[in-house]
Amino acid sequence: MSTALSASAAKGRTLNKRRDRRDEYRIGDIARLTGLSADTLRYYEQIKLLPAVNRTASGIRVYTGKDISRLNFIQRAQKMNFSLAEIGELLKMREDPRRARDEVRRLTAAKLSEVEARLNDLNILRKELRLLLNLCKASDDGCPIIEGIDRKVGEKTRQRRRVKAQR
Amino acid sequence: MSILIEVFASPGCPRCGKAKEVLQAIATELGGGRIEYREIDVVEDLDYAVRLGVLATPAIAFDGRLIFTGLPPVRALRAELARRLSREDGVRRA
Repeated sequence: MSTALSASAAKGRTLNKRRDRRDEYRIGDIARLTGLSADTLRYYEQIKLLPAVNRTASGIRVYTGKDISRLNFIQRAQKMNFSLAEIGELLKMREDPRRARDEVRRLTAAKLSEVEARLNDLNILRKELRLLLNLCKASDDGCPIIEGIDRKVGEKTRQRRRVKAQR
Repeated sequence: MSILIEVFASPGCPRCGKAKEVLQAIATELGGGRIEYREIDVVEDLDYAVRLGVLATPAIAFDGRLIFTGLPPVRALRAELARRLSREDGVRRA
């Protein structure tokens, strides 16, 4: 029994180890996954938007899934035009919401209002664009946008067929 | 008090003409002067159309609320209008 248990525990450890290894990323992987340059990643670490990244014995940075999640948050916040300083504060809240200082909570609430206002604007814009496209599609006179797309798709299909025929 | 019917149409919309025609006929038949009828070109009044949730034309709103999208069957239009008119009558009597 105890042998079976220890075997199972050992298996669990091996699995965790494998999982850990899968959760490790080099700077190039992160650059590819996030679209951020290696310089930017190093800069974020330098200004502490990212906590000190683990290193291998030879000094190569090893990122984790948690770093990717943090970087995704930074990128989303940047798309909202939040400053890096603001993002740094929001990250503190993200790291430990219960212990956030009052001013960080206030900033988070203010940023939430900004996001909601933007969402409202985007929602209206989405409806407007959808209506315009629907009008275009339903029109007796045809729709230059849709026809343009159809023409491009048609050209590509014909091109693919020609290439296939030549083979 | 009257019922406001708004038809949202757009240039080149093939079924908008029919929607206007049908609605006007029903409004004249059932309304007895209690219906205010408006035609709205969504391209001209895009903000209002979007605010009401119009996503295609024709669309029909009653009292500022979008009720039909597309051209509904005549009996559905008639039923909706009759329902609103009878409710209106009830309010007036009370």
